[in-house]
This record gives sequence, structure tokens and C-alpha cells, in this order.
Amino acid sequence: MKLEENIKTEFHQYKNQAEENAFFQMREKAFAEFDKNGFPTIKNEEWKYTNLKSIFDKNFKSTCVSSANVKNLLVDSVFNSIKANKLVFVNGSFNPELSNIIEKDNAIVISNLAKARKENTNVFDAHFGKYAKIENESLNAMNMALMSDGAFVYVPSNKKVENPIIIMNVVDSTDINVLSQPRNLIVIEKNAEACIVESYISAGTNASFINVVNEIYVDENAHLEHYKIQQQTGESYQNNYTQIFQEANTNINQVTLTLDGTMVRNNLHFYMNGKNCDTLLYGLYITEGSNHVDNHTRVDHAMPNCHSNELYKGIMKDKSTAVFNGKIMVHLDAQKTNAYQRNQNILLDPEATINTKPQLEIFADDVKCTHGATVGQLDEEPMFYLRSRGIPEDVARKMLLNAFADDIAEKIKIPELVGLLEQLIEEKL
Amino acid sequence: MIATNKMLSIKNLKAEIEGKKILNGINLEVKAGEVHAIMGPNGAGKSTLSAVLAGRADYDVTEGSVTLDGKDLLDMSAEDRAREGVFLAFQYPIEIPGVSTTNFLKTAVNEKRKYQGLEPMEATDFLKLMRQKMEFVEMDKSLTSRSLNEGFSGGEKKRNEIFQMAMLEPKLSILDETDSGLDIDALRLVSEGVNKLRSKDNAYIVITHYQRLLDYIVPDFVHVLYKGRIVKSGDASLAKELELKGYDWIKAEVEASM
Ligand SMILES: Nc1ncnc2c1ncn2[C@@H]1O[C@H](COP(=O)(O)OP(=O)(O)OP(=O)(O)O)[C@@H](O)[C@H]1O
Ligand SMILES: [Mg+2]
Repeated sequence: MKLEENIKTEFHQYKNQAEENAFFQMREKAFAEFDKNGFPTIKNEEWKYTNLKSIFDKNFKSTCVSSANVKNLLVDSVFNSIKANKLVFVNGSFNPELSNIIEKDNAIVISNLAKARKENTNVFDAHFGKYAKIENESLNAMNMALMSDGAFVYVPSNKKVENPIIIMNVVDSTDINVLSQPRNLIVIEKNAEACIVESYISAGTNASFINVVNEIYVDENAHLEHYKIQQQTGESYQNNYTQIFQEANTNINQVTLTLDGTMVRNNLHFYMNGKNCDTLLYGLYITEGSNHVDNHTRVDHAMPNCHSNELYKGIMKDKSTAVFNGKIMVHLDAQKTNAYQRNQNILLDPEATINTKPQLEIFADDVKCTHGATVGQLDEEPMFYLRSRGIPEDVARKMLLNAFADDIAEKIKIPELVGLLEQLIEEKL
Repeated sequence: MIATNKMLSIKNLKAEIEGKKILNGINLEVKAGEVHAIMGPNGAGKSTLSAVLAGRADYDVTEGSVTLDGKDLLDMSAEDRAREGVFLAFQYPIEIPGVSTTNFLKTAVNEKRKYQGLEPMEATDFLKLMRQKMEFVEMDKSLTSRSLNEGFSGGEKKRNEIFQMAMLEPKLSILDETDSGLDIDALRLVSEGVNKLRSKDNAYIVITHYQRLLDYIVPDFVHVLYKGRIVKSGDASLAKELELKGYDWIKAEVEASM
């Protein structure tokens, strides 16, 4: 367990020069939690199909060093031409030169966590570390203990962020095996509106492990568009934990696109803490080679009259594997809940594997809840229709696969970006 | 018409699905320029015959042969049959979400051109062609920007089939109950469209239950398909007779001869 030793050493180094304050105490508590539980193994039910052993047996180091490649990488990215606020983090460190904030309204804060801890103390203290639990979540605890920096977004009541906010995470493993632990805090107040995109790309040929935690607080009547676009290449591992905390009447559209990465584990959690919330969750994963993608989602319907609709789609090639585990938890008080979940998979090769599991736990009685999962090849009927018009089988297959995938990409409400992503998807298929 | 050029020749065609025999020895010859109507009770095998001709893989052809202009049709993939000039207007056109009608047709038209050794069509020419053919069946422009058949009404789907036929200019068109689901005006319009497309070089197999369609598209031959066989053939007057008398007398004839 080389990584565990690395973490311990790193924490002790940090501890020796850290100031004794509330922030430090939080981290020390998190480290103790990590120290107690260690990394999750496949004996843990939540990690049954995702074996992290290959990560934990490697040496990784946190570093803020970045190579000249990073700049080119950003220019080549799908986001380059998109008009947006951009916050760039390289190996978890904020890079102000590569970042660009175009929002005019100064009341809206689009910044980094290290700075916000000093300058936006009230918001920071009210929300930081309040949503992503560390108990029995070793990787969250490890992030809390040693996280580097991350995005901080604060949208005060009644404000609308005009341009999307793109949090660009670049992992640069040019020199060594890199461990990166960013942490993002997003606070959207009452009646406010924002569109936030997380992007993950990589440079370098050594291994990398990015362990991200997102905490997102959405106050009453607010609207959030939230997208994750995962495109890490090379030997890249990602654990991405997101806890979204919703107050009454909030409206969220979440889209996760996993287009690359050796191993990606997403833990996407929603907690509906008020009535009349409306949450849409969409996911698309395209896997190839021996890559592995695991989407664990959880929607907590804690209050009455909320609606959630989840649709995750996967296309798997070669010997790749994927996991979908969607939990819907309807609490005792959550009467009149409407919760829907679907997971559709297309396996393009006989050796590709998907483990799909819906988990419904319902404690209220007046509830509408459905779920369904499909695994298979492309449907014969549409194939025949296209072929009967003279379209060759391989072209027809591509058309149908693109249609299947684009359905999810189109849930992203930035039209220029959708076009570019669909092009990328087409190249992949 | 000097009838020498057999376009389609079906000989003793037998087909089954999951061991269930559906076509039990079909014989049919269609020459260029002709219109053949196929009628027959529900479940007789009319759609199965069209699907087998179009190349649907679900059905096992156990006996017989089919040639199109002398080429073995059964040996070709569905897409090759289409590019050789076979077109099937489906009885129940399916919806294909996410595939735009325009993109689909552009691909189909250009794949056919490629097969014929022609360059892809210029985008502007293609759009012009589309506009022209759309007017032809009075299809609403907004439909082509939508996903293929998605949320189309029953009649719109049928009209879309004929629109595709007009775009692809097939040699042999098989219209499987294109009349069902069309309103009275649409039926006339679609029929007039077909009549305009008729030429000495192409042929039609029109499957229908009703004389009404055959008032517009007057067939050269009418065949009755029953239990997977063509049990009676005649000219246009046979359809009128069936309209009056139903199928019982034909069924009785068949049972008696067995
Ligand atoms: N995929 C299939 N599996 C099992 N049976 C089938 C299948 N397709 C067709 N059949 C059967 O074959 C027979 C012929 O069906 P077909 O659709 O060809 O009839 P049809 O003459 O077109 O009838 P209709 O006038 O109702 O359209 C029917 O009994 C039908 O149930
Ligand atoms: Mg039929």
C-alpha cells in the first residue's frame, strides 16, 4: 500500500507547519478517519466491482509543477472556443494566468478556494465540509486532509451568472506519477442561477490519480446546470465525489459525460432537503480497451413532492467494463415523490462487461418510482429500416450509436459545446 | 406494352420464422412498367413477402429463388438490394429518435450514388431535390428537421415513406398498405404521386385491402395471397369482385382443391 504511506508522510509534513485553527482541526479529524479505515476494497459493497488496488500499490506524489504542454492542451480542448468564465487548476493548484473571468457583476464570486477561505469567510465557513461526508468515505477524508485548492463559486440571491463557469482540471504527469486532490465549493443562493462545467483532461505519460470532491449548495428557487466532462487520457485514475444539497423548489439539470480514462469512479449524490425539487441526471459513458467506468448515483428524496429523473447510457467496446449503481432513497416524509431511473447499455464486443444495479429504498407510501436497465446490442428494427434504404450496415450502426449517445450530450444547454462534443463522440464511435 | 423484360421473378419461394412456415411457394413475375396489386386476408403473408424481398434477416428462406433483372436477390444484403433499386414502403414505419430525416436521406441518396460510382450530391442540389420531392407529396417542411418518424402521425409516416421513395427513385417499389392511415385527400395525393412516378422502367407491387386505392392506382394484375400462396390472379376487375364478395369464396375454392 504505497499510496497510503505517501498520504501519511504528506500529512505529517503538512501537520508540522500548519497553523492550529478550525480548518486544520477539520483536516486532522479527516486524516484520523482515513487512517482508521484505509482505502476501500472490493469487500466493501459500494466498491464490489471497482478494484482500486492498482492505484494504491503505486507511488503518487502531489506536485504543482506543470509543463509547457498544458497551455497547448487547453487551446486544443473543446472549451477553447466557448465563451465562458474559466478557472484552470493544474494538478490541483490554481493557475491565474491560464484562468479568465469574464463575468461583469462583482457580487458574483468566481475564484479559488484558498483565496475564498480568507476573503469570503462567511460563505466558506457556512458551507465548507458540510455536505460531503467523511465517515466511512475514506477517499473524501483523504481529500479533506490534503486537498490542494479548487474552485469557489458564490452566486448571491437573485443573481444570474450570464456565462458558463468552466472548472478546467488538468492533470500533468509529465515528470512523475501525480496525485491531485482538488475540492470545489459552489454556493447558489435563493433565486439565483448558474451553469457550471467540470472538465478533466491530462498531459504526460506517467500515471495520475485525481481525487476530487465537489460540494454544491443550492438554496430555494435556484436553478443549476451542472456538467462533468471527463476526458483524461494515458494511465489516469479518477475518483469524483459530488454532493449536491438542494433546498425547496430548486431545479437542477446534471449531465456527466465520461469519454475517456483508465478508471473513473463517479459518486454523484443529491439530497433534496425541501419540497418541490426537480432534478434531472443524465450520464453517458463510452469505454474502450480495458478501461473501467463506475457511476454510483444516489438521490435522497427527503421531502415531499419532489421529482427526479435519471437516464444513464453506456457504449462499451473491447474488454472494457462499466458499473452503474443508482440508488433512490425515498425517506419516510417524502410523500408524493416521483422518481424515475433508466440505464441503457450497448455492448459492442462480447468481452465488454456492464454491472448494472438499481437500488430503490422506499419508506414513504404515496410514491411513484420506476426503474429499468437494458443491456444489449443495437436494435434490429431501426438497423433494418436504414439498411433497407441502401445505407450499409457499418454506416447505419454508426448513425444509430451516435443517435443513442447524442441524446445525452444534447441535455447540455450550451449549443456550441454540444456540437463539439458530438463531433468528439462521433470520432470515438 | 411488349412484355419481354422480366424485372422481378419469384419462383416457388418458401420462407419461415422460428420454424413457422409463412410463405409456402410463391410464384410471381413482374415486368418493368407494370403495377401488381396483392390482396388477401390478414395474416396471409403479404408483409412477410415484402420483408423477404427487402432482405429482412429474421426470415429463413427455405426454398425457391428471386431475381431482380437476372441478379440473385436473395444473395444480396438489404442495403445492396436497396441500391439495386428495391424499395419497401413499410406497413408500420418505425420511429428512429436522434437520426434526423434530412441526414438520413442525404446518407441514403449518397450511398446509392456511391454504389453507382457517382460523386456525392452537392449540398444545395440535395436540398433542392428534397424541396421538390416534398412538394410532390405535400409533406410539411418542418417534418424533415425532426428525427425520423419520431412523433409523426400515422398519415405523416406513410407520406414520409412515399417521400423517401420519390427521393430514391427505385426500380421496384413495394407499397405495403400505404393507404391505411391516410386521410381521403392524402390518399388521392399519394396515389397521384405514384402515378406520376410510374414509367416504363419501373414497377410497383401494391399491397392493399381496399379497392379505393386501386381506383387511383389502376393495377395491371391483381393477386390474392392466402396461407402463403398466390391462389388467384386476375386483372383489375378481380379487386372489384373481392370488394363485393369478400374472401370466403376463394378460401372455399382453395380448401376444395386441397
Ligand atoms: N416475426 C414473426 N414471428 C412469428 N410469426 C410471425 C412473424 N412475422 C409474421 N408472423 C406470422 O406470419 C403470418 C403472416 O404475417 P404477415 O404480417 O405477413 O401477414 P399480412 O398478410 O401482411 O397480414 P395483414 O393484412 O394483417 O397485414 C401471421 O400469422 C403472423 O403472425
Ligand atoms: Mg401486412
